[in-house]
Amino acid sequence: MFERHIQAIRTDDPGREEPMATRERLQGGFAPGAVRRMTQLGLLVGAAVGELAPTEDDTVVYASAFGETRTLAGFLDSFPAASPTLFQTSVHPSGVQQVLIGRQRSVRDFFPLSGGPYLAGQALLVALLAATPRVLVCGGEERGTWMAECGVASPRAFAFALALTTAPGEGALGRLALTQTSERGGLSLPDWFDVLHRRQSFAGPVMPGWQLKLEWS
Amino acid sequence: MACDLPDSVQLAASACLTPLGDTTATLAALLRGERALQARPVLGREGGDRVPLALLPGRELDETAPPAWMDAVRTLLGAAPPAPWGDARHPVFVTSSNFGVGSLYAYRRGGDAAHLAYGAPFICVDWLRRELGWGDNVTIFSHACVSAHLGLMQAARLIRAGLAERALVFSFDFLSPFVAGGFHALKILNADWPAPYAVRATGSIGLGDGAAFAVLARDGGGLAIAAQSLHNEMFHFTANRPDGGGFAACLAPLVAAVGGSRLWIKGHGTGTLEAGRLEATAFARIFPRAPLVGWKGSLGHTLGSCGLVELALVAAALRAGRAPGTIGSTTPMMTDNVALEPFATAGYDAVLCASNAFGGAHAALLLRHV
Repeated sequence: MFERHIQAIRTDDPGREEPMATRERLQGGFAPGAVRRMTQLGLLVGAAVGELAPTEDDTVVYASAFGETRTLAGFLDSFPAASPTLFQTSVHPSGVQQVLIGRQRSVRDFFPLSGGPYLAGQALLVALLAATPRVLVCGGEERGTWMAECGVASPRAFAFALALTTAPGEGALGRLALTQTSERGGLSLPDWFDVLHRRQSFAGPVMPGWQLKLEWS
Repeated sequence: MACDLPDSVQLAASACLTPLGDTTATLAALLRGERALQARPVLGREGGDRVPLALLPGRELDETAPPAWMDAVRTLLGAAPPAPWGDARHPVFVTSSNFGVGSLYAYRRGGDAAHLAYGAPFICVDWLRRELGWGDNVTIFSHACVSAHLGLMQAARLIRAGLAERALVFSFDFLSPFVAGGFHALKILNADWPAPYAVRATGSIGLGDGAAFAVLARDGGGLAIAAQSLHNEMFHFTANRPDGGGFAACLAPLVAAVGGSRLWIKGHGTGTLEAGRLEATAFARIFPRAPLVGWKGSLGHTLGSCGLVELALVAAALRAGRAPGTIGSTTPMMTDNVALEPFATAGYDAVLCASNAFGGAHAALLLRHV
């Protein structure tokens, strides 16, 4: 069994908020001037991760199935005069890089994942095998436009960040453990977000071969 | 975090596919100093500036639906050892930078909805999974040009923890007008041929198709992944810290693992000036006796697959006893440690394989004979 203790959690469910409104709502958490170029996902994930004060000695695990799809849509429409700025910020894992570059905060181990119905479990397995005492697990999506209608972008926006430690410490908010199982099932990123946002307990398979138990203190 | 692996994880099998052919053919061509790159229009059939691109034989830059590269991938993976890949004990890690994102450009340009079946990473990978007969246990890492190293690190951790018998790491990136257009917009993909680590007025890269696999296991293959290291500068999206601190930070944890080994280095070496100078300088300072080679002057930068493509070529070079030099470059070089000509590997104990990426991401691993 692999387990970690939840020391901090941030979630953000902006509903159908447009990027401009997200920018106005969250701009106080970022350096002046940086916000203008940030994507909606960068703002959402960045605000959540930023509050957990990442350090170089943390492992950062980032999960997003689709990444910066609004920027990607803009980049596609910039052809044949492709936009270098949109190219840079459309590359996965820009969502986390935007905030960490803005803060000039290096990290040693950074594992960005994409995925489908097992993405949450896969990210957690990376986190629970990490070599550092503290791991930040974060992720999210931004709501796509025409790409969402085509099934290649997320229909909803959300973001989360968890600080996990090997030691329980005082005041841990919860505990999560992965154990091997033959039971089949998965936990997608939106479903994982809903579990976290509602502070629900969870027990069940999350990816092939693994089940998760999440308990809140 | 570097992991000096006391419990050896071995490179049980590896192979690659490049525009020069399979692993054996690519190594032979590199040893002859051949260049796969050719001057081609950056936007495919829509034209544009001619830039150095290396495509699989017979493949056009423009996307097709289904992707024209699938047959080549199937052939490549046909050489992988048989196993129930994708079950709980035989995980698969797919790593790439672009996956099928070029298909979105094809859709946007032509309106053919068939392209959408490959346009997002996990949609593309799920199609690959079904085509290749893998189970559901397929994890996707996407960290631009260090993606392959992340797959190798997580695979090694699972093997070392006894949670997997063998792990398959597969990496691919095939060019498209979308990808070439992006790098052209950054002006680093231009009309010049790449000359890694060479002193010249302007830097330039080439881009290439590439795919590779590695099978990691407790034993077999005769080559051990002795240590791995990552570092992410988070200094700038497309530039490194000007003091080279990011390169040094990635290499520092590997020094102990190298010890007194006689080392050669397969660098990242895309052909950009500043990153090339910082990389070559860091290697020269930390491992002063180790010759440095880079192969992107021939193959082009194969992006998310480069770490695995070049690892397969390193393994093949070790088995063949001869490593290619730095193709496409001529003196003067940025540092004295750059090897321009092929050399015998018999005088060395280990190889350090390094890759870099957007965001100042650095990754390196140490490969040595068991």
